[in-house]
Parts: sequence; C-alpha cells; structure tokens
Amino acid sequence: MAQPEQKEEQQPKPLRGLYDRVNISVKTLNIIIVVLCAILIACMAFGISNRGYDVTFDTLGGTSVESQIRMYGELVEAPAAPSREGYEFEGWYLDEGLTRPWNLGQDTITGSITLYAGWKEK
Amino acid sequence: MADKKKISDLLLNNAMFIIIALAVIYISVKVPAFLGLPSIVNVLSLTAAKLPIALGIGGCIVLTGTDISAGRVVGLTACISASLLTTAFKVFPEMTSAPPILVVFLMVLVVGAVVGFVNGFSVAKFKLHPFIVTLSTQLIVYGIILMYLKNGTNNGQTLSGLTEGYRSLITGTLFKIGNVAVPMYVLYSAILTVIMWVVWNKTTFGKNMFAVGSNEEAANVSGVNVSRTIIMVFMLAGIMYAITGFLDGARIASANANTGLNYECDAIAACVIGGVSFVGGIGRISGIVIGVLLLQIIFAGLNFLSVDANMLYIIKGLIILIACAIDMRKYLVRK
Amino acid sequence: MGANLEKQETPASAGDKSVLLRMEGICKSFPGVKALDNVSLTVRAGTVHALMGENGAGKSTLMKCLFGVYNKDSGHIYLEGQEVNFKTSKEALENGVAMVHQELNQALKRNVMDNMWLGRFPKISKWCPLTSESKMYEATKKVFEELEVNVDPKTVMSRMPVSQRQMVEIAKAVSFNSKVIVFDEPTSSLTEEEVEHLFRIINMLRSRGCGIIYISHKMEEILRISDDVTIMRDGQWVATRPAKELSMNEIIKLMVGRELTNRYPEKDNVPGETLLEVKGMSAAYSVLDDVSFVAKKGEVLGIAGLDGSGRTELLENIFGVATRKSGEIYLHGKKVANRNPRESLANKFALLTEERRATGIFGIRDIQANTTISSLKRYMNGPLLSDAKMSKATEWGINAMRTKTPSQRTQIRSLSGGNQQKVILARWLLTEPEVLLLDEPTRGIDVGAKYEIYQLILDLAKQGKTVIMVSSEMPELLGVCDRILVMSGGKLAGEVDAKTTTQEEIMTLAAKYV
Repeated sequence: MAQPEQKEEQQPKPLRGLYDRVNISVKTLNIIIVVLCAILIACMAFGISNRGYDVTFDTLGGTSVESQIRMYGELVEAPAAPSREGYEFEGWYLDEGLTRPWNLGQDTITGSITLYAGWKEK
Repeated sequence: MADKKKISDLLLNNAMFIIIALAVIYISVKVPAFLGLPSIVNVLSLTAAKLPIALGIGGCIVLTGTDISAGRVVGLTACISASLLTTAFKVFPEMTSAPPILVVFLMVLVVGAVVGFVNGFSVAKFKLHPFIVTLSTQLIVYGIILMYLKNGTNNGQTLSGLTEGYRSLITGTLFKIGNVAVPMYVLYSAILTVIMWVVWNKTTFGKNMFAVGSNEEAANVSGVNVSRTIIMVFMLAGIMYAITGFLDGARIASANANTGLNYECDAIAACVIGGVSFVGGIGRISGIVIGVLLLQIIFAGLNFLSVDANMLYIIKGLIILIACAIDMRKYLVRK
Repeated sequence: MGANLEKQETPASAGDKSVLLRMEGICKSFPGVKALDNVSLTVRAGTVHALMGENGAGKSTLMKCLFGVYNKDSGHIYLEGQEVNFKTSKEALENGVAMVHQELNQALKRNVMDNMWLGRFPKISKWCPLTSESKMYEATKKVFEELEVNVDPKTVMSRMPVSQRQMVEIAKAVSFNSKVIVFDEPTSSLTEEEVEHLFRIINMLRSRGCGIIYISHKMEEILRISDDVTIMRDGQWVATRPAKELSMNEIIKLMVGRELTNRYPEKDNVPGETLLEVKGMSAAYSVLDDVSFVAKKGEVLGIAGLDGSGRTELLENIFGVATRKSGEIYLHGKKVANRNPRESLANKFALLTEERRATGIFGIRDIQANTTISSLKRYMNGPLLSDAKMSKATEWGINAMRTKTPSQRTQIRSLSGGNQQKVILARWLLTEPEVLLLDEPTRGIDVGAKYEIYQLILDLAKQGKTVIMVSSEMPELLGVCDRILVMSGGKLAGEVDAKTTTQEEIMTLAAKYV
C-alpha cells in the first residue's frame, strides 16, 4: 500500500502572479499600510498648507519681471511691461516659440506656468 | 474580538477609498466650487480622457504583467495625429492638405498595435518580464518621438495649429448641462468602455486572458493558445494607447515630446485601486472605471487647492504603493 | 468523539524512556476547515514514532505547527520539558529539531557541502569572516563517514540522483546534532537497498538517543522500524499504540475508520475494437524511450511504474505538452500529429495533469470559468459567448460529477481536492474526448471521493471512451483497469492483465530497467 503523500489539500497555498514570492506577514503589511497612509495624508497636508502656483516670467533678454504666486482659477496680475533695447514688448506667451499668447484679462491659472515675453523689432 | 478584527480588516482593505473620501470632503468644504457643475464636468472629461489607456493596461495587469511603455505610445500617436491633422505641416513641409481623419486614425491604431505586438511577442516568446520588455520599448518609442519631431522644419517644437475638423470631432460639444459643454470624447470613452467590457466578459479571448493570467501552465494544457493570447492582450493595449493619443492631441490642442509622460503611472494606479490585482486573473472593467474616476477626483481636488505639481508626483507614487500594499494584503497567505 | 476518550490512554511502553518532545492539544483552523483538532503527540528519546493517516489527516499540518510554518491556534509544545514555540524552522533547527522533507528544497546548482552548511558556513577563524572551504569539506566528510554515505562533498547537487540528494538532506539534519528528527516520506524515492541504508541510519540515531518522527504510508516499513505508532484521521488524534501490538489491517481500520471493503466499484465496462495506437514514442528532453502500445474503445488502461519511470512523460508526449523526439499516434487507424495541446484537443484527446494546483486549476477563477475554458467555442452566440449556455454546461458538469459546491460562482480554490478534480474532469468531458489521459486522478483526494472518481472513470469507459490512467497506487490500478502497462526507466517493461496479475509481478516489472 504505497501512497505517495501529497501536499495536504485544505491548506491555502500561495497564489501565483507577482506576489508569488512575497515574504511578509499580514501584521507587518498592516503596519506598512498605516504608515504609508499617514505619509500620504501628511504630504497632502503639506501640499495644501504650501498652496499656490508659481507664475514666472522669462523676458528673453529684456528687463526682469518678478514672479508671482497665484491660486487655482485666479488671473495673473498684470506686471509692469519689461523693456529691451531695440525692441518693443508685445505681450506674454505660454511657449518659447511664441505661438500661444496668454490673455492677462481672461486666462486663469490651473498650474505653475512660465510666461515668455514677445518682442517686435522697432 | 472577531468583530474588532473584521472592522480593522474593513478599514485597511478600504484605506484608499477612505482617504480619498476624506480628502474630497475637506476640499469641498474649503473650496465649494469643487462641487460645482463645471468642476464635475471637468473631472468627468478628464476621466474619459484617461480611461482608454487604463483599459489597455488593465489587460496587461490581468496577465500579472504591466506596461510602462503606455505613456510614450500615447505621446507618439498624439504627435503623429497632430503633425498630420494640422494646417502648419512643419514635420512634413511638402504636404499641403491634411489627409482624411479616418486614415490618420487607422494609421495611429496600427502604430499602437505594432508597439503592442513587439511587447507581447517578447513577453510571450522570450518569457521576459513585461517590465523589462516595456522599459525598452518605452525608450525606443521616446527616441522615435524625438526624431519624428526633428523632422522637416519643426526642429523638435510643440506641434499645434490643428485642423478644425479634428478638433471639433473630439472636443466638440456632445451636449450641454446647464451652461457647461460636455466634450465629444466622453462619448468615445464610453463606447470604448462598453467594447472592452464585451471583450473581457463575452469573448473567448477575454476568458482565455483571465485563464492565462491565473495559471499559464493550466491554460496551456487546457488548449488555450497562451502565446497568442498574451500577444493579443498587449496589442489590444497598444491600440487603446493609440486611441488615447489620438484623443489627447486634439484635447490638449498640441503635442510635444512630453505628451503622455507618466500616463502609465496614473493608469496602473487606477487599475490597482479598481481591484485589478497583480496576483493575476482578477479584474473588472467597472473597477478600472471607478479607479480612474477616483484618481481624477483626488487630483482635480488637489489642483483646486493649488497644490504644487511636484508634490502631486509624490502623492501619486504613494497612492500606487498603498494600492499595491492593500491589494497584496487581500491575497496574502495568512499563516 | 470517541477519540477524546481514548486519548487518556498512554502507550504501554511509555515511562521507561524519557519524554523528548510532547505536543499537547494542538488546534489549527484554516478558513472553513478545522485542520487539527486537539491533537497530541509524545515522542520518547531513543524511539521511532510513526505518524500515520490518510492524505489530509493533518500529519503535515501538525509538523508545520511544530516548525512554526503555521501558527497553532492553541495547544502547547514541550521540548525536554520546556515549553517551546518556534517561529521559524531555523529556530527549530537551532534547538535540535530537524526535518527531512519529502520535497527536497535544495540549491541544485551548488555542491553538496554548500547545501549542508547553508546559512551557517564555517569561518576560517574568529578573526577572518571568510568561509572556509576546507573546514566545510572536512566536516561534511566526517558526517558522511559516520552515516556511511558515499558521496563526494564537492559534487554538484543536480548531478546526483534523488536518492543521494535525500541522503544529503538526512546528513544535514544529523549534522545539526538534532535531538528530534522528522522524516517525511523518506523512502518514496529510494530503492530497496537505499531504504536498508536509511534504516541503518535511523537505527543508529535511535541508539544515540534521538527521538524520530517517521511519517510514511508504507505499512511494512512502519511496522518494521517504529516503536510507537500514532494514527490520525480528519485532523484528529485517533490512537497511539506500540507498533508490536498493531497489524496492518488494524492500522488501515484505524486510519480509514471503517473496513476497507468495496473500495472499488463494480467493473462492467466492455473493451471493444482498437481506438488508439502509439508507436515508438520517445521524448526529446526526458526519459521516455521507444514506447508502443494500443488502447481499445471502452477500455481502462493503467500505467504503473515508479516515480520517474516515464509514466507522466508518456501522457505528456501523447498530448503534445512535451517535445517529442519520435513516435506516431494513430486514432481510429488514422495518424494524428498532436503537436501541441490545442491540436490534441481538436483530435479529441484530454489530459488531466498530475499537479492539479500547478497545471490544472485556475485557483482564483470560479467554477464556471474552470469548467468551460477548454470548450469555449461551443458557447458562442454569434461572435459573443452566451452566459446561459455556459452556465448550462457548468450545471451539467456539477450534476454529472456530483461536485459539491455552493454555486457556479465559487472560486475553485475554496473546494476540496476531490471536488476540484471533478471540476477539471468535467472541463475535459465537455470537450467530448475519445481518449482521456488521466495522470494520478485520485492523488490528494479522500477515500470517499476516490470511489466516486473510480465510478466516473468506469462510466466513461462504458460510454465507449478510452481511459488511460497513470497511478502510483497499485491496488487502484488493479481495481479499476482492464490492462496495465508497466513502465521502467523510460521503457515499457511489460503489459499485464489486471484480473490475473499481482502487485508482486508489477513491482518486478517496474524494477526491470532501473
């Protein structure tokens, strides 16, 4: 009566997949989850307490313009127009290629941005 | 005692949802406009925009894999769409008029499917871990995007000036709620979701995918063509990324080398939150939709609070980690 | 339970030797199952204590509780009078409790001594933290000499036969100076001569005053080597008796809890004309060598042989899971290729694999998904699958197999082994096969469910299907099959008629090419 002993059946066996070799107890994992949640909440709190988006101005060779901190949905406060020798200032753009103009009176902030000065030769 | 354990189990397994709920409550108290109609429609449209890529990656995760090339494929397809359906033709200076939208759409699908095929083939035949395979295709695709954008007179710049037809097809008004327009791509996303639901639940391919994900060996013995299933899952995923890219080009109204950057992180996080487990063979379309929606809610909310984008990266990373830990907890062997 | 009353008895010979290990009132539950219910075990120094029970009786679980692989729910473990509670098997080893596992967990690409001293490599000196190869070599040599094992400590593990690797494992346990050594099915891969050797080692350990727990199914061995026998059934302690007072029949009675009559259903299938013919089957990467045979319609053909004799390989080659070197398969006289499982499936073959968990079930999928996966094409409604058709087919599978499950939507991993096996059997029957290849169909299944599986096999044969069945349990082959092919060393050693043959004849054939 030779019966090869098999792995006993009722016991839950590790599943396959990416957790195949996970070697951690549920207790430790619980602690990790709680700690990570705490860190997440702390990060959110930190982010909220330091809220505000940076609006920086790149004058591309003109006089410098001070950067601003604005909230979501606010307008950018119109800065004093920069000047550059031999050029005339013609407005702010979203990209260096000066293809997407920024309308100071209408466009609202949804994130940190850099505005580029557009110049026209005099 | 047992009750206490049950409650703590419940709390831990749903920690992610609890945190998101608390955050949403906090945000809506602080900024009541968050619960306003424009904001809700905004979240809805963002969800629709990010949904196709998550539906694609979901299949890869069901196979216990992942796909980190997704974001770059979105970028490539967005660039291709934006370079062809434009009025400026910087990439192809000799062109004078935009080709039909449908042609471009199909082209983009083929590009996505090809990348998916390379991923799937390497995973299925070389038995490489999807992470390594898609890491390499991610780099290759990024290189292709950069070279593509150098083409013609464009010199690596952002592509814009899209044709009216392309833009209105995707961002045109589907219908209006009050004063707020719901864009067309919400409809497209909804259609894709239905299609994917059918594919996952009602086709032999879907059943085979789950079988391969839960036990590859058994699937082979049961007569499932394992390699073909894996390749098809990755190709389908590639097609979903291509659709995301096609929508994104018009949605953002421009495309550059950074379009689609880190989209795969959002998508993977959404899938894991939505219960598509790394354990393999588990997942639902409804879960993915909920996962994407929750993530967009929390990010839109933090955006409303003007939380710095740099901090958002850290928060995203933490959310993925927590989601994985919770997922692991559910399927861990209890000793 | 009667078991609880009996427990007060102590073995007649207890007391004359000191108690080394005492496990008292061990309980362990898994979700939905009480795996151990108030089990006690006492091992005295200088004795061999056999632990017996059917599969799933809780022997392994009990040992896993001892070694800290599982946390016991309640109960106490005393080692030499002191309560211990090992958290890991390493801790157990350091306290003199070692185990020789049935499944060898060894670093096969490393050599013998690396495996022996893994985790405790000797240092060159106190001041030099480098490992000392020479010390390791000498120490290994010394243990081997003591145990009369004739193996060079520098041999790479993968080059040695399983039996020698087993000896290394035993030597490793001895090298820890263990007081209690657990042998889990140590002889399942050993030849007779090696078994004698093992028994000499065990006797030596016994005379040194070690306590030995010996888990085995082989009654002759147990009656020969052990002093005491503890029998478990369904997670409960049944009896502990001196081996001298027990006979084989008594042990079986205690293990099964009833007399073993009617273990096999009545055979009423009638073999018809030849259905399947296999010619010159050889495997490319495994032991199978030039096997030819025929199988008839409505016949149950058994395949016997030792582990590693090529039984499983034969089935895998017929089904196209493994790579074939040569060989032809004829079904109804027509040649079929069966290059891969899909082709075999289309040619109406079915294979029930040996490793149910590894290659059979989709653990986290539900019964329906597990039942329908091989025959999905039949449930199409146009391009889509029909839920109604699938649940109808699953319902048929559950009823026909008499599977016990709460619903079709239950995850298969929550079912017992026997019910899982029935689900897989249903999966294959839904493909309407003509040839069913069953590899150890009753492995890891309790006695009652085995009977049902036998009945199903015979019913299938009666329906005119050809069943080819590999089994390690000879009585099972004798009870269910019409003819039995005996494999040995990858070759076909002979063919016997199940009605007239004896276990001895089969064993002789099985050893022909070893």
